[in-house]
Amino acid sequence: MKDTPIPRTIVIEGTGPWLRLGPVEMLEIVRPVVPVELNGQRLVLFRDDDGKMGLIGRQCPHRGADLCYGRLEDNGLRCPFHGWHFDRTGQCVEQPAEPEGSQMWKAIKVPMIPVQVRDGVIWANLGEVS
Amino acid sequence: MISQQLNDSITRVGPDSAAGAVLRCYWQPAALIEELEYQNPAPVNLLGERLALWRDDTGSFVLAARKAEAGEPSVYHPGPEQIEAEPGGAVYPVVEKKGVVFAYLGDGPVPEFPNLDCFRADDSHVFAFKGLWECNWLQALEIGIDPAHASFLHRFLEDEDPDEGYGKQFRDQVANTNIPMTRVLREFPRPQIEVDETNYGLKITALRHLENGQTHVRVTNQIFPEAICIPMSREMTITQWHVPVDDETCYWMTMFTSFRDPVNKALMREQRLEEHVLPTYAPLKHKGNHYGYDPKEQESVTYTGMGLDINVHDQWAVEGMGAIQDRTQEHLGRSDVAIIRYRRMLREAIAALDRGDRDALPMQGEETSGIIGPLSNDTIAPTANWSGASREADLERRSGCPWDASV
Repeated sequence: MKDTPIPRTIVIEGTGPWLRLGPVEMLEIVRPVVPVELNGQRLVLFRDDDGKMGLIGRQCPHRGADLCYGRLEDNGLRCPFHGWHFDRTGQCVEQPAEPEGSQMWKAIKVPMIPVQVRDGVIWANLGEVS
Repeated sequence: MISQQLNDSITRVGPDSAAGAVLRCYWQPAALIEELEYQNPAPVNLLGERLALWRDDTGSFVLAARKAEAGEPSVYHPGPEQIEAEPGGAVYPVVEKKGVVFAYLGDGPVPEFPNLDCFRADDSHVFAFKGLWECNWLQALEIGIDPAHASFLHRFLEDEDPDEGYGKQFRDQVANTNIPMTRVLREFPRPQIEVDETNYGLKITALRHLENGQTHVRVTNQIFPEAICIPMSREMTITQWHVPVDDETCYWMTMFTSFRDPVNKALMREQRLEEHVLPTYAPLKHKGNHYGYDPKEQESVTYTGMGLDINVHDQWAVEGMGAIQDRTQEHLGRSDVAIIRYRRMLREAIAALDRGDRDALPMQGEETSGIIGPLSNDTIAPTANWSGASREADLERRSGCPWDASV
């Protein structure tokens, strides 16, 4: 697959519960981060350092910055606006601009849709949307 | 998170909108004088209104409604022969200040200008430029009153030579030290933020506590309703309006003001023309070309991977939120304290206009012309006396200034 700075958005519509996102090769790029639009919902699909995939909300829950341009590091996706860091479940795990000792991050989670690979194809499970 | 109704109220700018009514109580930077050198008349799209600016036979400026088709694009830029004044349409007062044409689109008494440094400095010490952002004005303003973001969004993973940084934000060294500003921002990402309400808006102080009892003190300002005044280098400040074209488009209009030496306008202009297209002042980097994003650069050079121009980083951040940020989904933190305070001021102003009490808004009375400054600088001070030291550093800079910068 051609390696553009931000890959073309994968647009999928359907009722599920399983929706086909595409071949597993679509994440075999230098920076495995791909925008996805699932029934109009803006999401981002990425592969973390464990090699596992996450399909999570595209707008940072802080002030709405676009996580498709996030820093793929520390086993998750980090928003370049204020460094809020999300793991593949959509859970915020760090807010490095907030005061030392702040626990706010624990209550912050972006939407997450479970994904699975079967026979070389990435599937999203709409039946288990968190 | 706020309701959709409140988000609409604080963002929309048309003639019958709540925030639009607040903005119409203040002079708005409508155009650069140089736009009339390219064409006369020139289109001015401001606060959802379609206007034209020209110089008449006596050399005076006229700003009046022009004929426009419904659905005309936000930044449509008709040539002089396509511009036709709307018969019987609005005509607004205009005043030129240091290369910027300000317009007053409201009813009632025309307000005074505050005597800000950018207005009282000599012409030789002020340079004005503008640029287009494709988003609502409020999110554009809010990034400017958010001192924490600079430690991330504008992080440089390596420091440059400050001597290469003329005319660029965050590229100088700090105060009388040899510490690059880029290093302070990178290594101290959790500023303590103090916000004080003032007669012009907000004074915002970001404290970064360094080693050895020293604190980096950065003072920036919100100037009501839609401007900021921030330090750019030891020599210059930026006074920047986020002026709405319509609900989903805005211009940043900046007056760069120098204290000691005249501004090198040719260089400042050349730097900015390399990044923008005339006549719309649209940036060359935009959503359509991913803001020049380069994943390799993001790994090793900049936090965003979008080059060294911090204006592009800000543009990405605010445009990526969508045309109007969906604040029903936001989660503000402690680092957003100035944004929270600003929105409270804006809501109070909206409520005051609703009850017909315009005098309750900031800078509506005679005392406005007595507002000077504001203090806007970076300094490193003993932690125990950061406030006094910040003021002294500002006074020292002002005392060596050829124009009257006294406070």
